Amino acid sequence: MSAENTPLGSIHVSPKAIATIAYHATLESYGVVGLSSKNLVDGWAQAVVKDPTHGVHVDYDGHDINIDLYVIIEYGTRIASVASSVSNTVRYHVEKALGMPVNKINVHVQGLRVSNYD
Amino acid sequence: MLSDPYTDKSTRDSTSIQIDGQALKDLVEASLVWLRTNQQLVNSLNVFPVPDGDTGTNMVLTMQAAFAEIENSSERNFGRMVHSLAHGALMGARGNSGVILSQLWRGFARALDNVEYLDGRGFVQALASARDTAYKGVVRPVEGTILTVAKDAAAAGEHALAETSDLVELLDRVVQAADVSVQHTPQLLPVLKEAGVVDSGGKGFYFILEGMLRHIRGQTLDVPQAIVQSLSTMNLENVMEAIEPGQDYEVVIDFRPYEPLDLGSFYTTLEEMGTSIQVGEGDGMYRMHIHVPTEKRYEPIDYTMTLGTITKVAMENLVAQMEERETPCGGNGQIVPAVIQPGQIAVVAVSPGNGISRVFSSLGAAAIVEGGQTMNPSTQEIIGAFENLPTDQVIILPNNKNIILAAKTAAELTVKKVAVIPSRSVPQGLAAMLRLIPDGDLDSVVEDMIAALDEVQTCEITIATRDVEIDGVEVQEGQVIGLYNGKLVLSETSLENACLGILQHAGADEYELITLFYGSNLPRQDALRIADLVREAYPGLEIEIQEGCQPHYYFIISIE
Repeated sequence: MSAENTPLGSIHVSPKAIATIAYHATLESYGVVGLSSKNLVDGWAQAVVKDPTHGVHVDYDGHDINIDLYVIIEYGTRIASVASSVSNTVRYHVEKALGMPVNKINVHVQGLRVSNYD
Repeated sequence: MLSDPYTDKSTRDSTSIQIDGQALKDLVEASLVWLRTNQQLVNSLNVFPVPDGDTGTNMVLTMQAAFAEIENSSERNFGRMVHSLAHGALMGARGNSGVILSQLWRGFARALDNVEYLDGRGFVQALASARDTAYKGVVRPVEGTILTVAKDAAAAGEHALAETSDLVELLDRVVQAADVSVQHTPQLLPVLKEAGVVDSGGKGFYFILEGMLRHIRGQTLDVPQAIVQSLSTMNLENVMEAIEPGQDYEVVIDFRPYEPLDLGSFYTTLEEMGTSIQVGEGDGMYRMHIHVPTEKRYEPIDYTMTLGTITKVAMENLVAQMEERETPCGGNGQIVPAVIQPGQIAVVAVSPGNGISRVFSSLGAAAIVEGGQTMNPSTQEIIGAFENLPTDQVIILPNNKNIILAAKTAAELTVKKVAVIPSRSVPQGLAAMLRLIPDGDLDSVVEDMIAALDEVQTCEITIATRDVEIDGVEVQEGQVIGLYNGKLVLSETSLENACLGILQHAGADEYELITLFYGSNLPRQDALRIADLVREAYPGLEIEIQEGCQPHYYFIISIE
């Protein structure tokens, strides 16, 4: 729970809300063709509930916000470049929406999708 | 100039043009040179402050890697050459735009597998394939980006194919369509419209296509499109940049070449000598600007002598110049914050400049954190400023609306009792500062300070960094703009008019005191002269002028 105190009371943002922002930012990042779960069991469970935070894990320990992204990348792109631009885009969008700094964004490339063979 | 196989042939009869692997090399080199020429323009269009470098630079580096892959190849087969090119682009893809660009090349190459020569039809098919491949690389394509420009360019090619199969004609149509598409991007992507720019990646892609067309037509590739440098405007003063090691001397040479200048080799040779190379052209004359290390300071002159008649040489020692400039604004003396006794209230003020820091200290601030509009201090820096003060009662004056949040976060992350006064400007911060009673009760002092914020009006005078329209005020790059309590209210061509205009807007004659804090970018004489003008305009008011030393802002004006 990220919190901010204003004269009118405090504002709490749940990790799930942050995950939603990160999820949408990830899907708009070039080179990412999908998000995947940390493990198969999770994947099955989340496929059933159509979670809009699928493949995103947000951790807030009261000090730092850490985000883990589990992505599938288009085959034939430079993975390092895609991963770093996902990380930048997500950081930018989350920080803009939240007004709080994000400590770490870990991009886990879970797989590649081949849509064209060269 | 690049070797140009087309100008010797009749350009009109362009159906005879056959683009093989070697000709592709020239086209790509032209793209790269043209993109590099306009790199700063593309960079200046960046909207997102994402720290992955600039779009123009990323695209140039990607194209450079692509070109390097084929540069030394003697392959004549077009299909194989373009595959190598795509491979190079993939390996060297930098940043988001670079990745998309590499996908475009990959798709382009795929459609031309083993094609001996590129013809009009093949070109259009390849563009379509480039578009398809690029769109496959993202779940939710954002329109109003390079993707849209690639799509529109491909569509224009397909459309034009009904009328002509001439490669040059098709390329011309495609370039035109890309241009229109780029101009249209703000309509598709709101963030571009807000910022008043077109999409940078799209513009870069346009330059790549246009570079090829310019090459085929034998047009120059060395003169930037938007920022055409003519000899008269390319002053020595406005090419002053930050100095890196190995840039001890700035050498500027005007010369008239004996024969048409081969810019490719000219640049290559200069690049071996130094950095910050700029070449301006006008009426057969060239002006060359370069930064070189001390030991090489005569080399550009010797080299240019071999190419043409030198008419003028200007040389400046940049290091010495920098040292001259580095006398700190606000004097050399240390700024001494107020000493706080245990149990007293300590004030931490965020200040954008040395002069302003001095004023805050003289009013009793216990610690100063440097920061302002373009350099927001981090939460950590703010905490660091008060953590070691011998008291646990702290008041923070952020003095900028962008810093209030960081200050509030700092207040939460400490065990000390910290209050944040939401001062949105330096004058508000100073007004609050005057209410400080170090031995008072924290809550009532805070209440007093917050009440003081509204007693002062803030005007800021700065310079517009790009064309924009906000709140009905139209601003052009380079104009002087005035903000009244954070809101843009006027733009003027002169600093004097802006100062007088903003005071009038603020209804200054209803108040008693005007304090002008002048910035580090304004010489003292100029500031004093403007203060005199203000005195003439408001004879009934007291006018004070202070050295503020803030960057970017000519004046921060407090009216109370």
